[in-house]
Amino acid sequence: MDALIEKLKGQIIEQLNLAEVKPEEINPDSPLFGEGLGLDSIDALELIVLLEKHYGIKIQDPKDGKTIFQSLRTMAEYIKSQGKS
Amino acid sequence: MVKAYINGTGCISPQNSIDSEWFFDDVNPAKGDYFDAIEPSYKEFIAPNLLRRMGRAIKMGVAAGNIAIQQADVKKVDAIITGTGLGCFEDSERFLLAILNNDEQFLTPTSFIQSTHNTVGSQIALIMKCHDYNFTYVHRGFSFESTLQDALMLFAEGKETILIGGIEEHTPNFIILNRKAHKFQVQNPDNPIWKSTTPGIQLSEGTAFFVLNKTKTEKSIARVDGIQTLYKPKTSDDIWNKLQAFLKLHDLTLSDIDVTLMGFSGDVNFDSKLQELLPAIEKESVAACYKNICGEYHTASAFAMWTGTKLIEKQSLPKALAISDKSPSRIKHVLIMNQYLGINYSFMLLSQC
Repeated sequence: MDALIEKLKGQIIEQLNLAEVKPEEINPDSPLFGEGLGLDSIDALELIVLLEKHYGIKIQDPKDGKTIFQSLRTMAEYIKSQGKS
Repeated sequence: MVKAYINGTGCISPQNSIDSEWFFDDVNPAKGDYFDAIEPSYKEFIAPNLLRRMGRAIKMGVAAGNIAIQQADVKKVDAIITGTGLGCFEDSERFLLAILNNDEQFLTPTSFIQSTHNTVGSQIALIMKCHDYNFTYVHRGFSFESTLQDALMLFAEGKETILIGGIEEHTPNFIILNRKAHKFQVQNPDNPIWKSTTPGIQLSEGTAFFVLNKTKTEKSIARVDGIQTLYKPKTSDDIWNKLQAFLKLHDLTLSDIDVTLMGFSGDVNFDSKLQELLPAIEKESVAACYKNICGEYHTASAFAMWTGTKLIEKQSLPKALAISDKSPSRIKHVLIMNQYLGINYSFMLLSQC
């Protein structure tokens, strides 16, 4: 799980162009939206594409996004649960 | 005839124009056949959460607009008008490459949103919370000229303060492709830009913004008296005749013009008409150039207007711009004669105020 979280950190930094953020500064349990990284709705679309592009996961029900993208850890857990890590 | 007062300027170019004290000293040469803009540290001008999504054109435009607004010391403007030939090219490329590389799948919204030509004007409006008139002209070599023309018309309709700007960026791919098409050349240092005998421009990029005011204030640096565009004039005589009429419209003759900034690009195919006119200009005015230091791009006329404003402010013609040893005894009127690819010609008249 830790290795997947580290991998996700790099992918998120690259996809969202978070040039000012270092991987070690991202707390895997902090909220991704609002607080924490302070992401917004456009970033949510970027994260959906990230999951599809890198892990082949399509989120079928948009309502699931709220739970999946709660934090880096919930994202990693979701990827693992889909057997795609 | 409506005039406008320039109350603030901001310019990012291949030179150190971001520094308000810089006056054409320590001029940077081109990097072979092209110039790169010298970009500032954008953190001083743009919040980090906005900065991460912006391409270079947007960052340059927002920063230059910010500098102009600070200099004019205004909190709000009645309109924001921008001009660009190629728009946010970096993001357009990024979006198109993503389509190609990912077989039209996995397309993300950010670069598409940021790639539209009006992003610079809209980002400035969002930052300033300006809900008024916002327009972007994409008129190739007349893009900046159109912003100025529009601003003058809006002043006639009663607007008081308007932010205008010209923005252009290039990308490595753009340079590679145009180089293959032999569009550029390395300028021969022994052959000045106004005497070029060979084809090819020096590609460049940059942005210049201006806060214009309908009425003169204590912040006013110079005055815009008028603008005229000419599309594909057939001969240099056509340009000459239009110029005489333009000056007459403002109760001036060429002998009243202290400095004429001429848009020589270094490409003989595009400069030949200006080369033919140079002796007549030099006879009655002091001719100078600017694309030898800013390069060529769709909105280089915005850099020319920034240059003209500086000349009036400092009352001096720097050596870097001079074509001859003649120097003006004063700088009351500056005429800009821009041309782009020998297609788009324009006159802009600036005066001391």
